[in-house]
Amino acid sequence: MPEVPVAADPGETPTGMADATTVDLTAAHEGAATDVPPELLAQSLGQYLRAWWVRVRGGDSGVLPVVLGIVVVAVSFQIATPKFLSPLNLVNLFEQSTVYMVLAMAEIFALLLAEIDLSVGLVMAFSSVIVAELVQPTGANLPWWVAIIIALVICSAVGAIQGWFVARLKMPSFIVTLGGLLILEGAAIIFLKGALVSIGNSRFTNEVVLYDIFYGQFDPVVGWILLAVLVGVVGTGLWLREARKRRHGLETPPRSLTAMKIVLLAVAGSAVVAICNVNRAHFGTIKGVPYIIAIVLVVLAAWTVLLQRTRFGRYVYAIGGNPEAARRAGVRVPTVRIWGFVLAALTSAIAGVLFLSWQVSLTTNIIKTANTYVLLAVAAAVIGGTSLFGGRGKTIHGVLGGLVIGGIYNGLYLLNVSSQWINVVVAAVLLVAAAVDVLSRRGAPRQA
Amino acid sequence: MTAEASETPTGSADGSTVANLTATSTAGSADVPPELLAHSLDQYVRAWWLRVRSGNSGVLPVVFAIVLVAVVFEIITPEHAFLRPSNLVYIFGLSTVYMVLAMAETVVLLLGEIDLSVGAVALFGGVIAFKLVQQPGPDWPWWAAMLAALACCGLIGALQGTLTARLKIPSFIVTLGGFLLFSGILVVILGGANGTAGVNSSVPNQRVIYNLVQGLIVPVVGWVALAVVVGAAGAALWLRAAARRRQGLVAPPASVTAIRIALVALVGVAVVVVCNGNRGTSLVTVQGVPWVIPIVLVVLGIWTLLLQRTRFGRYVHAIGGSPEAARRAGISLAAIRTWAFALCSATAGLGGILLGSFFFGQYSTNTADPGQLVLYSVAASVIGGVSLFGGRGKAIHGVLGGLLIGAIAYGVSLLNLGTLATPLEYILPGGVLLGAVLIDVLSRRGTGSVTGA
Repeated sequence: MPEVPVAADPGETPTGMADATTVDLTAAHEGAATDVPPELLAQSLGQYLRAWWVRVRGGDSGVLPVVLGIVVVAVSFQIATPKFLSPLNLVNLFEQSTVYMVLAMAEIFALLLAEIDLSVGLVMAFSSVIVAELVQPTGANLPWWVAIIIALVICSAVGAIQGWFVARLKMPSFIVTLGGLLILEGAAIIFLKGALVSIGNSRFTNEVVLYDIFYGQFDPVVGWILLAVLVGVVGTGLWLREARKRRHGLETPPRSLTAMKIVLLAVAGSAVVAICNVNRAHFGTIKGVPYIIAIVLVVLAAWTVLLQRTRFGRYVYAIGGNPEAARRAGVRVPTVRIWGFVLAALTSAIAGVLFLSWQVSLTTNIIKTANTYVLLAVAAAVIGGTSLFGGRGKTIHGVLGGLVIGGIYNGLYLLNVSSQWINVVVAAVLLVAAAVDVLSRRGAPRQA
Repeated sequence: MTAEASETPTGSADGSTVANLTATSTAGSADVPPELLAHSLDQYVRAWWLRVRSGNSGVLPVVFAIVLVAVVFEIITPEHAFLRPSNLVYIFGLSTVYMVLAMAETVVLLLGEIDLSVGAVALFGGVIAFKLVQQPGPDWPWWAAMLAALACCGLIGALQGTLTARLKIPSFIVTLGGFLLFSGILVVILGGANGTAGVNSSVPNQRVIYNLVQGLIVPVVGWVALAVVVGAAGAALWLRAAARRRQGLVAPPASVTAIRIALVALVGVAVVVVCNGNRGTSLVTVQGVPWVIPIVLVVLGIWTLLLQRTRFGRYVHAIGGSPEAARRAGISLAAIRTWAFALCSATAGLGGILLGSFFFGQYSTNTADPGQLVLYSVAASVIGGVSLFGGRGKAIHGVLGGLLIGAIAYGVSLLNLGTLATPLEYILPGGVLLGAVLIDVLSRRGTGSVTGA
């Protein structure tokens, strides 16, 4: 284990590996060795772990800090209040975190482009008002899915307009989305018509469906079946992809690692389903995996594929890393930027549907609180490991960061801490995460 | 238009000075103050107009917008009530907090940074000052309480500035954290969600703080004060220009100086006349200039001197223009940035004290939303003419922008719009902010410095 700063000395990187392939690869990536995924350098599990450790020390620590953060939050709250890790509270905690998670996933599109979208919270509120108003039996009385599609389309258009201002007129995204936030806040209040809008009436199917998005759950048996299908599909997909790569002579992680990943997924999934299937009601029976977990997983999967496996995703990272280089490489920077803002707004609109279902009824005051959500979304994304400076981050960071924020909120709430102290704690966590981001960037060889 | 240097000394056929000056500042000719190019009033006006057309329009757009807003609201408000003296004085009180916060924000914007915590820090400072003068309690003298509040806020700013300048965490994130942090701590100090802190106008010590915005100057004293201010400002302006002329330095034409002094006197007389009219009911006489007007003028004067006439101000402009160039010129970026954030937060603290006084000396958790305060104050400085990209802006821009925001907010509330009133409170500043930044961006594009031609 090298004790000297590894990143500074490319010769040190292939720690203890005599393999020819490895050496060639490192030579080609001189200076940027810590940026190479460990999959490309390792031939065995031991080598993989070592390469991964080198990468972490080089500043690219990925999800490690946030996973540690989740463990710290869980352990400290469990010590403070034994209720924290009870099945009831864990499910609650996850449900409460989902809005932060989805909003953080939205914000990541802007952050990856080295921009910021301050309007995500209000796009969320705007979308929830649209959906709620459109399904009112006394009003438009549209089917729930039509209402959701209309909200998603309108919000995407809002994102496109904001993106156009940023990309074409070169206005700072910070200001465009600040102005957008104010205008959307007004627009949402206008659509609300100063009255309370609710989807809590169980006599109307449309409202029941919207209500169940947050509060409904799968039958316990269905939960297990879905898990089996999920693990089966993902496992097979992962295994087959790597087998194919190996057959074509491409670089692949060691087999043992793939197997470990699949087992880990199965274990984590089983744990979640087992916890959710415990009866968590004080009276009667409530058990099963909440729908909302499946919804978050679908959004996560869709945006992960989009960012990691498509040309669009590569362009987003390229622009975030160096816009000028991306432009010279032939990327149509303004178009990609506009799409980034569209996707951020679209994802916020999805969060809006969850928000509506969570709140059940909307008032002007609830719309006004939507302002704080953008801060939590940025905090969640940065805590999760997404860089503020563009080009570094993944969708999963939003989910993990959202879980930290939700965990802090939930734990402090259980401890009867007043909401103002909760803000103080979230602020401190945000500052620490930003400091870690900055310091780790400083450690990376590109900056040296 | 600006690309051609030969265009700059329009019609000024005299004097080699002009030609020389233009030659040395070829690409940036539009950035040269018209004082340096003109020898007569006529030339001055033409040089100024050229500068406006090239994008450096200064306070012109915001003054124009204020006039427009005043005329429009006067026409559309019921009974044409907008320009009544009582409303004008109220608008100034309402705008005070935006003016002061916008001046605070200006120094940070000049650096090319942003401070999102001004709203929360302002309320924090206000609550501290109010808490320290409570009678069953600390019972500090008003000036000590205010100084303590400003010092606390300055310390907060220094801390945020250090994190930004030394650790290089983006100011946007540091102050976002500060915003959350102090919005929370503020409520704790107030004593929970239902906590309050108030000053009582019947207690002499607390009355001073109550009177900061609510107090009125006796009409006669108002006139005397105006005479003193115009006399002092006029003499200073005239003597400085004369001194410069005597020493062979470049000075604006004497007629321009005279016009400026006349303008100050005219605006001052108008303000005092409006304020000294009886704006009370038939039973109660309310007249006199509110204390808050000279207070804002003093803050404006301090900030203008600091930014325009001191080394600190020059360094701030230099860093905003090009941090790397400033660093190579030997300026300590970290020290200046830290000081700027500290001064910004201290000024914000003063804004918070004034805000409490405006709300009749009562502070509660519902007094103001710190998020909206910061949005409005950034909007106010940008609307006033401060550039978001650093290096361009003055304290007066914050005052004018704040006045515009306050005028819009109050005008809308006069309109009896019913359910539409609340949304317009958000939509109008949002639209105005976007419009102002659009002008900022487009005007930057118009100048040679950005296109790099």
